[in-house]
Amino acid sequence: MKKNSFTFEVVLAFSFLIVSCFLALRFGSVFDADSSIIYQLRLPRVLLAVAVGMGLSVAGACLQALFSNPLCEPYTLGISSGAALGAVIGTTLGGFWIVSGLTISAFIGALAFTLVLYFVSIRPGNSTLTLLLSGVMMGFFGSGLVALWMSLADSNGIQAAVFWLLGDLSRARMGGAWVTLFSSCILSGALWLRSRQFDALLMGEEDAISLGVDVSVLRRRVIIVVSLLVSLCVSASGMIGFLGLLVPHLVRRRVGALHGKMLPLCAVWGATLLVIADMLARVSVRPFELPVGVVTALVGAPVFMWILLKRGSQV
Amino acid sequence: MSATDVLFGVYGLSYRYAMERVVSEVSFEIRHGEIHALIGPNGSGKSTLMKAICGLLPFGTGALQGVVRFRGHEFLRDSVAFRSRSVAYVGADLRTDFPVTAYQTVCMGFSSLDVSPIHELTLHECETLKQAMEQCSCWEWRDRLLSSLSGGERQLVAFARALVQGALVIFLDETLSKMDLHHQARIGILMRKLAKEGRAFVLVSHDLNLASEWADFGLVMKQGELVFHGPILQAITAERIAALYPGAQLMVAPSPATGTPKVFFDKQKG
Repeated sequence: MKKNSFTFEVVLAFSFLIVSCFLALRFGSVFDADSSIIYQLRLPRVLLAVAVGMGLSVAGACLQALFSNPLCEPYTLGISSGAALGAVIGTTLGGFWIVSGLTISAFIGALAFTLVLYFVSIRPGNSTLTLLLSGVMMGFFGSGLVALWMSLADSNGIQAAVFWLLGDLSRARMGGAWVTLFSSCILSGALWLRSRQFDALLMGEEDAISLGVDVSVLRRRVIIVVSLLVSLCVSASGMIGFLGLLVPHLVRRRVGALHGKMLPLCAVWGATLLVIADMLARVSVRPFELPVGVVTALVGAPVFMWILLKRGSQV
Repeated sequence: MSATDVLFGVYGLSYRYAMERVVSEVSFEIRHGEIHALIGPNGSGKSTLMKAICGLLPFGTGALQGVVRFRGHEFLRDSVAFRSRSVAYVGADLRTDFPVTAYQTVCMGFSSLDVSPIHELTLHECETLKQAMEQCSCWEWRDRLLSSLSGGERQLVAFARALVQGALVIFLDETLSKMDLHHQARIGILMRKLAKEGRAFVLVSHDLNLASEWADFGLVMKQGELVFHGPILQAITAERIAALYPGAQLMVAPSPATGTPKVFFDKQKG
């Protein structure tokens, strides 16, 4: 496998990020935007897109390593369903509670699901596969509850929740976007520090233990950090599908599977792709807006298929 | 021999899956420089025993009973990182769905050393790694992806990684099974050389002729119990082999070259 140097890859990724951020600030639903639109509407969106794109891609890569399974993605563990449940309940009960709308209630829902996962992961004797299956089951259970709630509750506010479920960055506000970006960087960095242990896990759990990785401890910590990261992203932006699966695979093709180099590039490419996708969501059907999750899925799936078929099965 | 010579000891080890005892009351000791072959029919508990010893199976839940000692202190109480530098377990296959090269795989032998994500190998580590890969004749294709290597080639890589780990006791679970005769001999000679330097090996194999060629001692398991532990000459005898594999008509004869016991198929009566 011929590889460009790592420095080149980093420079390339960052140039793409900067250019796409610039374009995203420049283009929007109105053509000649004044500075207040750029600073108060577009900048927070771009910052949030960077934070969420980075978080989802890194979370996806880490879960793939943790479960030695390239099909995992940030939503595999069902945390997003917890967020969705929280959001839907939050919007319908919003009047009674002090919860300030979607974001915080979604975060609470995601944390509740994370807590269950954590208890599954610390029970002695539970294997990683048990954890994975529990996560998937909780996802189905959460979706079921969301459907139940939606069919029972009256439709007021449900529309907003549905749009949010498909991925929506339009709730970005300056303060919140900075907080999300900052937390996303911290959590991704915490995961990056475990790179060597993730590397060992690529061969499976037994190999990792034999190589000196305390898998049960690692699993516990990674579950917490990844769950927080996913909760953060989902509650800020809804369910943006596909990014967490696509980006790690693309980056692995460029720099290989070792996480020390791969995770930082995942972060930058994930941010870049989401900034571009959000820009497309804003400008493609002007003056309306598409949910960004629709764009990532509609563009991402064919692109991913094309790459897969073109370059053979080596994912 | 005095007790201090014992490098690794297993005392009264039992392991249960659900309610079923897969390994019961196994005890044996390994000293520096010894090569042991662990043999027995399918399902006799060989792999479970090895994995339990190496701490790869959950042992906090009462499934595992007994004591494992490395140089006198309780092995399974040590940290995973420490254990990996004392004892290495090499499985039958090195399988991954991710694009990892042979070189990167062997590199992971160092991963128990808690280092930063951007750690570059030191000169000494590079030398160790190159030497290990050359000894296992996998240095030439170090940049190929694991998924593009054959089963035997992957086993060579796995063996090289165990060498890099620096463990004193190396458990090989069918690790030579897919190698061709050239590589089997190479790894066998290498094991002998490393044993002379003080390492110890335990080799699980269904190929009794391979086991008898390279091992000094035989550990014979049947239905979860250790039925014999002693010199390989006495481990592989016609009576014992007939008892282990009742369905096959087998005969045992010394190798004309080395005198080690070899197992042959007799004429099979339908």
